[in-house]
Amino acid sequence: MAEKIVVDARNMACPGPITKLTKAYRKAKPGDIIEVLATDPGFKPDVQAWVQRTGNELLELKEENGVIKAVIKVTAKK
Amino acid sequence: MAQKKQVLVLGAGAGGLIAGNYLAANGYRVTIVEKNDYHLFQPGMLWIAFRGHDPERYMRRVTELVKPGVELVKGVVTEINLAERLVKLSDGREFSYEYLVVALGAAYDYDAVSGNRELLEKYGDFFSGAEHARRLWQAFSSMKEGTLVIAAADPGYKCPPAPHKAAFLAAETLRERGLLGKVKVVLAVPFVHEYSSENIARIVAPKLREAGIEVKTMFTVESIDVEKKKLYSLEGEELGFDVATVIPVHRGPLDKVEPETAVDEDGFFKVDKHTLRIEGYDDAYAVGDCNNTPTSKTGVTAHLGGEVVAERIMGYNAVFTGRTNCPLITDGEALFVISDYEHPPVPVRFSKFKRLLEDMFIAMYWPSLRDPEKWSPLFRAYFEATQPKILAKLGW
Repeated sequence: MAEKIVVDARNMACPGPITKLTKAYRKAKPGDIIEVLATDPGFKPDVQAWVQRTGNELLELKEENGVIKAVIKVTAKK
Repeated sequence: MAQKKQVLVLGAGAGGLIAGNYLAANGYRVTIVEKNDYHLFQPGMLWIAFRGHDPERYMRRVTELVKPGVELVKGVVTEINLAERLVKLSDGREFSYEYLVVALGAAYDYDAVSGNRELLEKYGDFFSGAEHARRLWQAFSSMKEGTLVIAAADPGYKCPPAPHKAAFLAAETLRERGLLGKVKVVLAVPFVHEYSSENIARIVAPKLREAGIEVKTMFTVESIDVEKKKLYSLEGEELGFDVATVIPVHRGPLDKVEPETAVDEDGFFKVDKHTLRIEGYDDAYAVGDCNNTPTSKTGVTAHLGGEVVAERIMGYNAVFTGRTNCPLITDGEALFVISDYEHPPVPVRFSKFKRLLEDMFIAMYWPSLRDPEKWSPLFRAYFEATQPKILAKLGW
């Protein structure tokens, strides 16, 4: 069963958010949804680069009240 | 005057020794439990593995590093029960305490990534002791051609610049031997940029290029095929090697902690990031790599945390700021990655003077562990003068 994994990396400085995403991705299964919340402005370009490299799907990337939310669907894992 | 309290310190690494010796200098009854006979200056492993230094240069007997009056117990801690104020050792001995300082460092999980243990057996590494560092030197120094890969299994490892230093030192050795180019040095980092912090990546990237080091970003090792000589990444790529070393996944030091809620999912002690007090207890602290503070795991944080904990036990309102001072060494130069909880790493320059400063820090290492009360003012002056909030304006 695909799961939704929430990674709360708010108030963590760079590269905390990507580190937490990497840790979550290691445990994730194909089809899982990973939602990352971060406040570090560097996270936005970083998560885009990460999605491009890993070949997963970025379903949503938005910023609201200083919080960046990235929703990733795990599609590159076999 | 009432007799001063009894403090049980677990671990004689930098954090444990500084806290224990500092408290002993102020009249506290201190017991330190340590499993090893020798204390290893951990950055020394880089020099053993990539410059062929003699391991003895970076080791001292623990008995030489504790103040007279400190009771040193040799043993392996297996269990902590915070509610009952009880610590158990593998041989069945039990210790109670009035204050507890956990300074057991991080443990390594070589089974988290398949092939990592086999790779360690074959090529050694620069994280898990002088013997393994020596083995890596033997593998590396016998290379005449091919590819050396330095990589990590997880972004949350000790000393963020360690693999970069490894690459710089390896390239230095190869250049001296006229082998750079014939032997290719590949640094694979689990970060989006060449260094964990983008500010520092911008400064380090050209230096890596200059040194002839190839960098692979976003490469977090997921599995290793030692037979086929290939590393596979979580991000979906692969790297071939002739000799490789992979920094293992880190976790907390103990399997048994009561209550379980005192540690996070990776086994690191949950502490208040400013007081280093273990959540829910006012008589127990965790210092250095074994805690979950959102700062880098480095000797500097263990050192400063050790002082903060000692001072808090003495009744002062000392605060841990999350300050880092990670030295990044290249051929003849260095820079310090300086940050704290409130400030991400500030842009700094490489210089020969900072390399001199780093060499001085290394020389001061042993006496500063044994006599923190004497050396502390000097370190304090340095840390105050180089606060990130000051350097962010000045540059350094």
